[in-house]
Amino acid sequence: MRYGIVGFGTAGYHGVKEIRKYDPTGTIHVYGDTGMAPYNPMLTTYYAAGKLSYEGMFPFGTLEEMEKKYGFSYEKRPVKRVCAKERSIETDQGSAVYDKILIATGARAVDPAIQGLSAEDRFLMRTIFDGERLRKRVETGQVKYAVVIGASMVGIKVAELLNQQGIGTCLVDLADQIFPLSAYPDVAREIEGRVERQRVTLHFSTTIDHMERRDEGQTAVLTNGEEVPADIVVLCIGTRANVELMADAVEVKRGIVVNRRMETSAPGIYAAGDCCEGNDLESGQTQLIGLWANANHQGMTAGANMAGHFQEFQGNILHNITHFMNMDFIGFGDNRISGEILEHGDLQNGLYIRLVCQGGRIVGANILDHYRISGIIKNYMLRLFAGDRQEVPDYQRGMLVKAGIPETFMDKIAREING
Amino acid sequence: MKGYTIDLDLEKCISCGACMVACMDQKDIHPENGQKPFRTVFDLETNRDGITAYSHLSLACMHCVDAPCITACPSACIRKDEETNFTIFDTANCIGCHSCAMACPFGIPSFGEDGKMEKCDGCYVRVHHGMKPACVKACPVEALRLVELEGDKTILPERSLQESSKNILDQQV
Ligand SMILES: Cc1cc2nc3c(=O)[nH]c(=O)nc-3n(C[C@H](O)[C@H](O)[C@H](O)COP(=O)(O)OP(=O)(O)OC[C@H]3O[C@@H](n4cnc5c(N)ncnc54)[C@H](O)[C@@H]3O)c2cc1C
Repeated sequence: MRYGIVGFGTAGYHGVKEIRKYDPTGTIHVYGDTGMAPYNPMLTTYYAAGKLSYEGMFPFGTLEEMEKKYGFSYEKRPVKRVCAKERSIETDQGSAVYDKILIATGARAVDPAIQGLSAEDRFLMRTIFDGERLRKRVETGQVKYAVVIGASMVGIKVAELLNQQGIGTCLVDLADQIFPLSAYPDVAREIEGRVERQRVTLHFSTTIDHMERRDEGQTAVLTNGEEVPADIVVLCIGTRANVELMADAVEVKRGIVVNRRMETSAPGIYAAGDCCEGNDLESGQTQLIGLWANANHQGMTAGANMAGHFQEFQGNILHNITHFMNMDFIGFGDNRISGEILEHGDLQNGLYIRLVCQGGRIVGANILDHYRISGIIKNYMLRLFAGDRQEVPDYQRGMLVKAGIPETFMDKIAREING
Repeated sequence: MKGYTIDLDLEKCISCGACMVACMDQKDIHPENGQKPFRTVFDLETNRDGITAYSHLSLACMHCVDAPCITACPSACIRKDEETNFTIFDTANCIGCHSCAMACPFGIPSFGEDGKMEKCDGCYVRVHHGMKPACVKACPVEALRLVELEGDKTILPERSLQESSKNILDQQV
């Protein structure tokens, strides 16, 4: 059996590992465009902040080590095209045919043109190179002011690291609040207050229009007319799945559409990670869920199935935990869906949880400042989406009680869910 | 060496806390300095449909065979000890992102003063040397047991915390 892997991030790596588990002898050929072992894009802000070594960004070791351990060959060459019909992978050196192909090309940062912003002062935060560039620029000590566009999980981590370096930092978003895709408005207000008290300025319902050079330095002019000083601009306005290489015959929406076995619509072609959209347990539709653990599960599932071992990944829900500026924000599910709101705690005092329930399910949740209960709540949401209506068992209930969630609140949830 | 896990006989536990104290002693945990014990002991009284029930529990890392925290850790700090199957860790590259906590359906990972993850490691070094984990050794009613993954069931399935939590774990991602 000949396997071709396109893209070698964590999804590609987990695909290779799992293929090897079930097929010790097949030929595995990996195409990557970095020439490096898989790194974790999520660690780039920690590297840029000086909190992690360069090697620390490569969680699984070196390329040589893994080539030896899993017996594959790596070609440093960007793939130009994958032809689903022929099951071929094409580079500038020609094309090769495989029995099974895994597309694991991840995503790239959205990178719009901004008038007056020079390439040198413009930063993204996705690749290891982005992390290195920002770190080097900050280390020059020449950055006094920075503007971060996009008040997302990535944007806030970038704002945090710049702020910690004593750089006057301004966070801007077209939405009217922080974490627009996951936080409920009043939770967002509380977080915004805390962020501002730590000296990051916030501008919402606006974005960058253009840059102007003035005698006193560079200024970012926002679409609402406001002006903010900016030696650099970091664009954190989301990602796009890398799907352009899929030449034909594979269903692509915002990502490559896959089923629970990570099969695309073309036989023999699989996809995993940020380039694909798999099952969203909440909506029942396919959806891009660009998260580390999700990419790992998808990569493993694809690899197993490619090697002939039946395996399904049931899917996921949108979920995020962001630890920043001395707080934890946790968001689960779709914050646009309304329903019966159950709340416990106080936004200002160490533990706050809000659950939005509808139709016997928890459709959305926000937790502030309590990471420890997050896994149990997520588990309950996942179980309800899967149709398992068993109440929270005592061993989970006890842990929630120990964490400060009163039993009366849990009984309220049970009544809301089970009627 | 065979794979192991630590199981709890739900009928036998009396929430006496001896396991927690032994663990704190073994792992040098000082709650007075803000450190959190790795093992949580509690009793619960629940009343469902007019029936009152009591449960006594002692919970720490379940050393899940397919541990969601391992997949979730962005820095691959958490892994399986090949000899024992215990879920162990090296937090040199832990960034304190709390992703492992969000992945754990049992609410286990916690974070120390240094911002790095800490949890029960099954006393895997003791087990390598033929000893029992400290909590198992201290349990006066033999509710906590070191059990072989593939061995005979020493705790009846309906009384085993490991068995009764399997479906919870299966649905975690
Ligand atoms: C700053 C930041 C913070 C994040 N925070 C979190 C978080 O808190 N929690 C979380 O779960 N996730 C987080 N993520 C997301 C997480 O990092 C990704 O979901 C995950 O890394 C996706 O892995 P992947 O393998 O699909 O893609 P990638 O890591 O993007 O790997 C894809 C690889 O394919 C290569 N490639 C692309 N096109 C080609 C081609 N044509 N030919 C050859 N090779 C190609 C790319 O160069 C890359 O090496 C964050 C991401 C960023 C950037």
